[in-house]
Amino acid sequence: MGNLDDPRLNFNYRTRERGTVPMDTKRDRFQWVSEVAYKNVHRIVTRGYDTTELVEAGYGLTDVLFVDFQARIPLVEEEKMLNYVMVCMLEDGLSSPANIARIVASGKTLLTQAAGASILAFGHAYGAYQEIGKLMDGILARQEKEGKPLSEVVEAVVGKKLNDPALGVSGLMLKDPMAKRMVARAEKLGVAGKYVSLIKEIVKAAQKFSKEPVDIDLLGATGAVMFDLGFTPEATWGILAVTRAFATGAHYCEEIEREAPVRLGQTLTPKEWYDGPADRPAPTLEERKSVAKAMEAQTPAEWKQTFLERQKIKGSGWAIVEEIDDPKRKI
Amino acid sequence: MDRQPLFKRKTAISYKTEEKTVVRGYNVSDLAEAGYTLYDMLFILFQNRIPAENEADMLRYETGEFLEHSMSPSAASAIAVIGGRPNLPAAISAAVMTFGSAHGPGAAHGYMMHKYIERARVEGKSIEEMGKILVDEYMDAGLAVMGMGQPQHIDGDPRAEPTHIKHEQLCRGVYLALQRAIEKHFNARRKKEGKAYVAVNMIGAGNTALAELGFSPNAAWCIGCVCRGFSCAAHATYTMKKGRAWAASKREPMVQMLDLSMIKYQGPADREVPSQAERQAYARKQKEEGEYKKWVI
Repeated sequence: MGNLDDPRLNFNYRTRERGTVPMDTKRDRFQWVSEVAYKNVHRIVTRGYDTTELVEAGYGLTDVLFVDFQARIPLVEEEKMLNYVMVCMLEDGLSSPANIARIVASGKTLLTQAAGASILAFGHAYGAYQEIGKLMDGILARQEKEGKPLSEVVEAVVGKKLNDPALGVSGLMLKDPMAKRMVARAEKLGVAGKYVSLIKEIVKAAQKFSKEPVDIDLLGATGAVMFDLGFTPEATWGILAVTRAFATGAHYCEEIEREAPVRLGQTLTPKEWYDGPADRPAPTLEERKSVAKAMEAQTPAEWKQTFLERQKIKGSGWAIVEEIDDPKRKI
Repeated sequence: MDRQPLFKRKTAISYKTEEKTVVRGYNVSDLAEAGYTLYDMLFILFQNRIPAENEADMLRYETGEFLEHSMSPSAASAIAVIGGRPNLPAAISAAVMTFGSAHGPGAAHGYMMHKYIERARVEGKSIEEMGKILVDEYMDAGLAVMGMGQPQHIDGDPRAEPTHIKHEQLCRGVYLALQRAIEKHFNARRKKEGKAYVAVNMIGAGNTALAELGFSPNAAWCIGCVCRGFSCAAHATYTMKKGRAWAASKREPMVQMLDLSMIKYQGPADREVPSQAERQAYARKQKEEGEYKKWVI
């Protein structure tokens, strides 16, 4: 069996069984397990409520979001606040989600591809709700554990995270009152809670440490208000990313209505934008033997040397350091 | 901090400055302060107008009922994608992208209605007559009449008829008249052919209402599909927090979605891999015999 004849293999490659695995009859059969919703031939039920009965009783999308994510009917003030947040989050001009939708649209695709793709813009900087949620819950947990004044714990954290895109405080909304008005509305409606209080402390601390003027931004305001409405950081992430996707549908439509589709090979990249290696002849396959050399490192020192060399190659990925962990929240 | 857009586009939808975000001329923050809702915003966004209250009510009703549909291709996709534990938006994105020509073909239904309403105008026929023509043309051509039937709700989608009734109460018009005519003639013909009754589905009911509200086929499709994205986010989040990653663990009391026993293979029987020495003759023979063609996809 070719080069697989190796005594270190975990099982015999010559005698491996063929065919699929028989049905597992010892365990329960597979079912779509859900705490969120079920349906039968005549009903669709979310968290115990029939969806038709909900809308017949006058509840709408914003109410059903509380039902779906929190298994409860919201207070009137909470529903109003969620509507407020979603109105503000619906559209944001030619920012990343709209750009993605337009780029996808330009390939002559279906609307659902463009709107769906736009949701991918929401990462750990743009719409960093999972990150700011972890940050805020971490501060609250630390304060409870250490028993220190909130402002003291906040300052200790904010001092190290001034440039963190998930801080919720930046120079982005110094002239735009939208974020501050949102927080004020939450307070007026009586739905502001510990997260709004916390973001205000974060703003104070950031303003104390920052050399540049900073204030609450849209992430900070929407995050704090949504958390006080009872939505988890993940729910907030999903809800607000989807909210924006409605508007990217409009950008999809406008891109198709106003621009010509882009064909394969059509788009040029100006040479003056290029700062990679100078143009060079491709070696023949014969020359390759003398030109190409393998790069395997045999020792940690060699590895470090190649690592640093590789970091100089833009686009190789070696200069990126990030954590890709299980997205389940751990505080 | 660079705040310039990635690329230049002339747009009639919105603009954003350091001071404000403006959609169709309205400051978004001012709209929120004045008490406008997401439903109002969708009219402003897609139609450049503030809706009448009955229109906003219809949209609230429809998006409220359309949001959650338990297990359909969209929710199943969100659950499958989150099994690999990517970032949550990847699962939601995939869910929205499941909407195509079979799952919620909203835009296609809208274009179909436009075509036949225009024909009624040009040919001087009534909407009722045009409904019959549409049904006959589709069925004669062996095409499915969009907006009819649902594979799970075999007695009729429980949301559909109530949507029609609400539509009648709040904003009836030419689209509803055509859809009702389609339903009537579709089932009359099926009855004549000895076939069972098939009820209207949520494309037939919901998309018709969205068209009546003034949303273009794609805008209506966007509202429907994106709205479903919310519940898919809930299903993905639930699975992420309370389900097993990979969905294949033998330790779960229930067989998991990706347990090996869930695989049923119907392809070519197991066969020996030819050596490189045998390869050319083997490949030529395989190509000439052509049996492989029945497996080509």
